[in-house]
Amino acid sequence: MTALATTRLRLGGRSRIARRPLALAGLGLGVLALVLVAGVAAGSVFVPPGDTLAILAHRLLGLDIPMTWSRAEEVIVVDLRLPRVLTAMTVGAGLAVAGATFQGVLRNPLADPYVLGTASGAALGAAIAVIVPVRTVFLEFGLLHGLAFLGALGAVFLVYRLSRVGGHGQMTSLLLTGYAVGSLLAAGLAMAMYLSGTNLRQIFSYLLGGFDAASWGRLATSLPLVLGASALVLMRARSLNGFLLGEEAAAHLGIDVRRERAILLGLASLATAAAVAVSGLIGFVGLVAPHVVRLAVGPNARLVLPLAALFGAILMIAADLAARLAGEIPVGVVTAVIGAPFFLVLLRRTRAGYEL
Amino acid sequence: MAARFSTRLVALIAVLFIALGCAGGPGSPGWTPGSGTAAPFLTPAPTPTPEQTAPAFPVTITDDEGTAVTIAAEPRKIVSLTPATTETLFALGVGDRVVAKVEDVAGYPPEADAIPVVATFAGVDVEKIVSLGADLVVSGGTGLSQGPAVEQLRRADIPVVVSYPTTIDQAIAGFRTLGQAVGAADAGNTLADDTKSRLDELAASVANVAHKPRLFYEIDVSNGIFTPPAESIYGEMFALAGADPISGAANYSISLEDLVAADPEVILLGDAAYGAKPEDVGKRPGWGDMTAVQEGDIFPIDDIIVTRPGPRLVDGLAALIAAIHPEVASASTAPSGAPSAAP
Repeated sequence: MTALATTRLRLGGRSRIARRPLALAGLGLGVLALVLVAGVAAGSVFVPPGDTLAILAHRLLGLDIPMTWSRAEEVIVVDLRLPRVLTAMTVGAGLAVAGATFQGVLRNPLADPYVLGTASGAALGAAIAVIVPVRTVFLEFGLLHGLAFLGALGAVFLVYRLSRVGGHGQMTSLLLTGYAVGSLLAAGLAMAMYLSGTNLRQIFSYLLGGFDAASWGRLATSLPLVLGASALVLMRARSLNGFLLGEEAAAHLGIDVRRERAILLGLASLATAAAVAVSGLIGFVGLVAPHVVRLAVGPNARLVLPLAALFGAILMIAADLAARLAGEIPVGVVTAVIGAPFFLVLLRRTRAGYEL
Repeated sequence: MAARFSTRLVALIAVLFIALGCAGGPGSPGWTPGSGTAAPFLTPAPTPTPEQTAPAFPVTITDDEGTAVTIAAEPRKIVSLTPATTETLFALGVGDRVVAKVEDVAGYPPEADAIPVVATFAGVDVEKIVSLGADLVVSGGTGLSQGPAVEQLRRADIPVVVSYPTTIDQAIAGFRTLGQAVGAADAGNTLADDTKSRLDELAASVANVAHKPRLFYEIDVSNGIFTPPAESIYGEMFALAGADPISGAANYSISLEDLVAADPEVILLGDAAYGAKPEDVGKRPGWGDMTAVQEGDIFPIDDIIVTRPGPRLVDGLAALIAAIHPEVASASTAPSGAPSAAP
């Protein structure tokens, strides 16, 4: 009951609550535009910024601009960098929304998109795809992406069903089931890696995550899933706010707790699964982006969800850019290296105690 | 909770990965999906016969992944993404057309030193390859984690030939294919025929030895013991060199118990470049009673020439024979790359 109320008290009145998120959203959109442009403009090959903009205007807006650039530059900007940057944006936004949802529904600040076994499930799926000697491609999704997607969803489904068998779907039970199933799947993953022999490197690069395999086709498949699920979560922000007050309070507010919980967890898992299918396992963004936003605007899910998506997208694009410029180091390493100090500074600056 | 779990997972993965990492570097056949079937003792491979009369380009070749690749005109800017390919291109006499290459720990051939590196262990710089205006890329394919790069390059209309031979015959057939791809079909055929006849000659020199010693070829022992399986280019090379190899599992591992029970008569240290020393082998717990240790038949060997599926396989086989059958090797002239037989 207290979380919402204290935030309002601390921020002193409605008007300031209303203005701050707007300013933040504006700032966020500005920064997003900036990193998007930077992400497309920068890379291992120098393409003059003017040419980059001209190529984009030519290809995306259909403007009739005289070609002052080479065919190679056009390929680099349009086919290599643009899908990669947009994939990073999608994945960052999706993981942030999923993280905010898991944290809210489970009322646990340590929850991240992978907390209910998604990561282990996706990784096991990817590992199996590497081991089985079958190659199929559907909508530019190879077996690896497909099995990673199904593995992530399957793991969450399993966790959800198992946790309801023993009790009445308590949060602790759900979390612990997630941990147990995750450990089991991780053991399966370790076995699969042991058996994979010479294909280990493929599994390993999936586990590290990254955007080097981004393509328009894969983006076109994952984007609707991630953004669709995120938008549906946003439409249920009221329920998520209810969960923040506790399940009983939520029930008193007229929220069908079991149903809403299942829907929210399902949508968040869908966004996570679609994200990890294209990018591999990238940590930290989904955990920290929602917290950063909550520190700035309080716990109201209506504000936290869109702003977290924005911040997650910015962080991911910036991290991928840094990873590329540093010679393709794993993105997950960069998200943590950029994000952790930022988060620590923010935590220390917050004078009032921070609660989810 | 999640964080702790993933830290542990990553640590576990890292350990596994590093251990197996030594099982094959770039260019080793180890990294290829599907181990393939071990070819019988150098039987003639189905090799594409180049049509001498027809114009050389455009040419369509089938690469090691079964992809038909059409090359419109003689490539002038070739990018080599496997160390073996770099060696083969130089052996074909088209080294001057290689504009970029993969990092090569062996630094061979020295003439390739100045060529810019566009791919490492971490990945392939696709942007750079596109900006160089490459008109032919030879890649290791998914086996070298180059799968995404291959996709992207092909979408950019750059012909990509995937080369990951899993047998010696396939490697030799690859010389012909590559020759056709770069407009040096004759050189490719000559290199293939020459390599094959020299390997046959070397194999014949030990074909009738009285005793084929039990061989343990060490890839890595820093965390678990790793040795190649029979179905690999390694395995073929050992058989050709007149050895009775103690084979690892498909993931290259072998238990110490199995190794002790197999009692190797010769130990070759493929990890010599990473610091393994013959005099240290006997000090390892459990290793002391092996025949090879007792007799002192432990030799360092250059792992790269033994396993890199390029023209230097001949040197690799000569080096293996020099170590395993010094009595035969000393009778003929020792080719370059052979290690000294003395420990």
